[in-house]
Amino acid sequence: MGLMDRIGARSPWILHFDTGSCNGCDLEVWALLTPRYDVERFGGVNRANPKQADILLITGPVTKKCEDRLRNLYEQVPEPKLVMACGNCASTGAPFHNCYNVCQGVDKVIPVDVYVPGCAARPEALIDGFVKALSLWEERSKAAREARE
Amino acid sequence: MVLAEIAVLLIGPLLVGLSMGLDRKLTARLQNRRGPPLLQPFYDIAKLLSKRPQMLGDLQGLFALFCVAFQAVAFGLFAFGGDLVVAFFVSSMGAVFLVLGAYSAPSPYSHLGANRELLALLAYEPVLFMVIMAVGINGSFLISEVPPGLLERIPLALVALLPVLVILLEKSPYDVPAAHQELATGPYVEYSGPYLALLELARWYQLAFVYGIATLFIWGPRPAGDVALKLLLAFALLFAAILIDNTTARLTRRRMVLFTLTAGVGLIALNLIVLYLAGVI
Ligand code: SF4
Repeated sequence: MGLMDRIGARSPWILHFDTGSCNGCDLEVWALLTPRYDVERFGGVNRANPKQADILLITGPVTKKCEDRLRNLYEQVPEPKLVMACGNCASTGAPFHNCYNVCQGVDKVIPVDVYVPGCAARPEALIDGFVKALSLWEERSKAAREARE
Repeated sequence: MVLAEIAVLLIGPLLVGLSMGLDRKLTARLQNRRGPPLLQPFYDIAKLLSKRPQMLGDLQGLFALFCVAFQAVAFGLFAFGGDLVVAFFVSSMGAVFLVLGAYSAPSPYSHLGANRELLALLAYEPVLFMVIMAVGINGSFLISEVPPGLLERIPLALVALLPVLVILLEKSPYDVPAAHQELATGPYVEYSGPYLALLELARWYQLAFVYGIATLFIWGPRPAGDVALKLLLAFALLFAAILIDNTTARLTRRRMVLFTLTAGVGLIALNLIVLYLAGVI
C-alpha cells in the first residue's frame, strides 16, 4: 500500500509553538499561511491543537519556563509526528548562546527532524523545510509499514 | 440489491467529500490562493485513520461511533425513500451524540464548544423542521411520494435552507460552535486520529441529508437531467454559502439564534400563509 504512505504525507496539520522567540520567526511562520506562500497547497492547515497536529513548527530557543510545556505538547501529539525547528534560535539557540535562562535549542528537549536555519528563517526556507518534512513522513511511514510486514 | 444499497450509502458522503474539496479550493481562489487539491478532504480522512488512536475515555469513542451511526441511518432513510420526519429526528439524535461526546471530555474548550453546538441545534433544527413540514404539508412525508414542483410552491423554504447550510458547514457569520479563532474547533477539540475521522464522516452524512432535502425541490425531465439539475442546485447552495463566508465576519451566538428563528422560520411561515390564502393547501 505505497499509496497510503503518500496520502499520509499530503495532509500535514500544523501546530505552531513559540518557545520565547523574538517573534521574527513567528511572523515568517504565519506568512506561510498567507495567500503569498499558501502552504495549504500541500494540505497544511494550522489546527492550533496538539491532538490533531502532525507537524510541530517550533520557534525560539526554548526558555527554561517553556521546557515542560514544549515536552507536554509534544507528548500530546499522536504518532506519527514530525518536529521542525524554525530559525537559528530553535536550531541551536545561537542568538542566545550561553544565556542563563534558555535551553539552547529545541533538540535539547524533544527530538527534532528538520532544522531550518535563518535569523529570521525566510518563508522560502520554511517551505523548503516543510516539503523536506513531508518526504521524511513518506519515508518513515513506508519503513514502519515494511517493519510491520 | 444489498450491494446497490451499500453503494448509495457510500455515494452520499463521497459526493459531500468532493464538495468539501471544492469548497476549500473555491475559498482559496476567492482569497487569491492556489488552495489544496480537490481530493484533500479524503487525504485528511485517510491520514486521520492512520494516526494512533488516543482517547480521554471509552465514552468519547462510543459517542463518536453513535454519532456517525445515527447520521448514516438518517441519510439511509432519506436515500431509500423513507419518512422525512423520522430521518430528521434520527439525524438530530446524531447531532446530540456529538454534543455528548464533547461533554464527556473534561476540558473547558470542549464544554464551551458543546454548549455552543446545542445553541446551533436550537438555531437550525426549527428551520429544518419547518422546511420538512412545508415539503410534506400536502400529504405524505414519505420521500418516495414527494410531489414534483416543490420549487414553484414553496420557494422560500429553499431560501431558508441556506442559513441552515451555513451553520452546518461551519461558515461565517454563523461558525459559532467551531469558532476556530477562540475555541480551536469547539466540540471536536478533544478528538484526534480515527475518532476525528468518524466525526468528520458523520458531518458528511448529515450534510448529505440536508443537501438531499434541497434536491427534493427540483425535478428534471429524464433521469440524467434530473441528477444534473439536483447536483447543480446543491452546488448553487454551496457556492452561496462560500460567498457569504468570504464576505462576512462572525456574528454573536445570540444573533445567530435570533436570525434563524425569525427570518428563517418566518420565511417559511409566510410562504405557507400565502399558499393557504391562495387556496392551494
Ligand atoms: S532566529 Fe532570529 S528571528 Fe528567529 S526567533 Fe531567533 S532571534 Fe528571532
